[in-house]
Amino acid sequence: MAKGTLPLQISPLSEFKPTASSRAWVSIPNPNNLPLIATGTSDKTVRVYSLKNFTLHSTLEGGHTRSVRSVAWKPSTNPNAALNIASGSFDASIGLWRRQPDDATRESGQALEKEIAAGGLPEHSDGSEAEDDWGFMLVLEGHDSEVKNIAYSPSGQFLASCSRDKSIWIWEEVGAEGDDDWETIAVLQEHTADVKSICWRVDDGNGEVLASASYDDTIRLWKEVEEGEWGCFAELGGEDSINEHTSTVWSLAWEPTIDTKLDEGEEETEGSDSQSTLRLISSSADCTIRVWSLAQSEPQPNKPSYFNSSIPSTMRPAPADEKWVCVDKFPAAHDFPIYSIDWSKKTGRVVSTGGDGKVVIYEETTKGRSSVGGKIEKGWAIIGVLENAHGPYEINHVTWCTRYDAGRTKDGEEMIVTTGDDGIARAWAITESTEGAEVSVEGIKLEDMTTAESNI
Amino acid sequence: MGLDNANPTILSESELPSHRRRRRGHDADSKKQSLRNVLAAKPTFEMDPFYMSEFSDTDSDDSTLEPIDEQEIYDLIAPIADPEHPTSLESLGVVKLEDVHLISAASSSNPSALSRVRVELTPTVTHCSLATVIGLGVRVRLEQALPPSYRVEVKIKAGTHNQAEDVNKQLADKERVAAALENASLANLLRTMMKPCEG
Repeated sequence: MAKGTLPLQISPLSEFKPTASSRAWVSIPNPNNLPLIATGTSDKTVRVYSLKNFTLHSTLEGGHTRSVRSVAWKPSTNPNAALNIASGSFDASIGLWRRQPDDATRESGQALEKEIAAGGLPEHSDGSEAEDDWGFMLVLEGHDSEVKNIAYSPSGQFLASCSRDKSIWIWEEVGAEGDDDWETIAVLQEHTADVKSICWRVDDGNGEVLASASYDDTIRLWKEVEEGEWGCFAELGGEDSINEHTSTVWSLAWEPTIDTKLDEGEEETEGSDSQSTLRLISSSADCTIRVWSLAQSEPQPNKPSYFNSSIPSTMRPAPADEKWVCVDKFPAAHDFPIYSIDWSKKTGRVVSTGGDGKVVIYEETTKGRSSVGGKIEKGWAIIGVLENAHGPYEINHVTWCTRYDAGRTKDGEEMIVTTGDDGIARAWAITESTEGAEVSVEGIKLEDMTTAESNI
Repeated sequence: MGLDNANPTILSESELPSHRRRRRGHDADSKKQSLRNVLAAKPTFEMDPFYMSEFSDTDSDDSTLEPIDEQEIYDLIAPIADPEHPTSLESLGVVKLEDVHLISAASSSNPSALSRVRVELTPTVTHCSLATVIGLGVRVRLEQALPPSYRVEVKIKAGTHNQAEDVNKQLADKERVAAALENASLANLLRTMMKPCEG
């Protein structure tokens, strides 16, 4: 596919400076609308960069003895709250860091958001910056080997971590915020190999759900199945040799809840429960991205092949299983492992990257009705490709990120941030090549063709 | 820890390809071509009148067109020492020139265009417990010595090890490789293996 024919252009915006001197693994934007992004690197630090000017805001160092592989911001609704970052490291520990708002800021009643937004960096003439303001509060220990990924649940109630030791731990902060009193809620050990990644689904009324991706080529879904009892309620892959990943699953992303969807499409989806269950996408070393959805048929309890014979079934909670199936595959775009995917909450677009250094953007489009009055058929199409985004280097992570720099054309505009083996985090602007592309963006938010047409 | 293979076969010097590095003739070219057939599944260059030319000399100007070849890759890994024997991987027959495969980047003008290197290892015994460490050494050596546009794949040659799939998957996992290098005892072992080995 020729580059020029695609509706989206991905163009370099800036790199975050100064860059790390060795491999950078991941960059996570602050979820609370603060113009900050945190990068975890193999130099054992977390670097917090300003999204206003792409420069270093502060560095979290001295907490780990090996690579920082993952970073998570604690969600918060209070703009005056302290900033909390968790870091997961190859040293098998999780570090918890806190940055209190400056005293001066607090006294003047100015929110932290404004303080950061005002200048990106507090302008200390002595160059001390804000680096001293991050405190290393606590270490969570328990994993036997490298922590691969950590993630706060969307409510902020739970912190999940996963490791090469095949386990997932769920942690909960039980004391008042700032007491640093944590409990282990669950240790989930059903994967048969390294757990590479974890991803929380927003609470749809039935509690927060955690998805995990593994070196054992499968994905599992976990939730609090009974009071205080966490368990696996779905295994994606491992049963069906056609519609599953054939190698390590590296990354996961849940379908976002896009506001307009509920307003405009809800009444058209009657009798279809699976439509209201958010889908999951996964990327793998097998170079595919798969879409998973709750099957509409009745679950089959106690299916023997569900169980891993290496663990006695008596050790498991009774499965209130859901049957999830692979319903679609993204068009092939990568020929090396796909290390990272992200699903935009603003546009519904998906971005992927991996060992080939390519960044690819996809959009779900309507293909038409399969039959008169039948269901609308949808499919994913490639709408933007960027080759060699980090030169010859592999890219380990990609994320959608709100723009706060002066060059943005509107509030809430999104960009992409990639993080690579060259130690660099790079920001990329997304521009529509044509007016028409905007229409198809709207289209994906709609459940029904007729609504889409009336919108055009 | 006992030796997996106390009496490995050690090749004599005259059998080692690194001592024949100027002999780059028909064999190397036909091998390269068959590899392209297998891995790239693209039309070969048979129609190119210059492709089959045997007049290749590493010292001539055409080395700028193809700066790295299988022989050079082989020479990077041949002297690595076996972790069990004070002997090179070359002498033990663990690495062989014909098991070093290279697909050079399609575009030589673009420094970011990717090249693929695949090395197949032949462990001295089918239950060699150190196959993963040897493979790690080979992968790390090549990643450190080759330009960043080279993607290195290290595998156990089919039929030579009873856990080849497990070993291959570990060696292909960049995160596991990165973590292994931060493991002090493993890193020390690798350093020992990387010391020039005269065997």
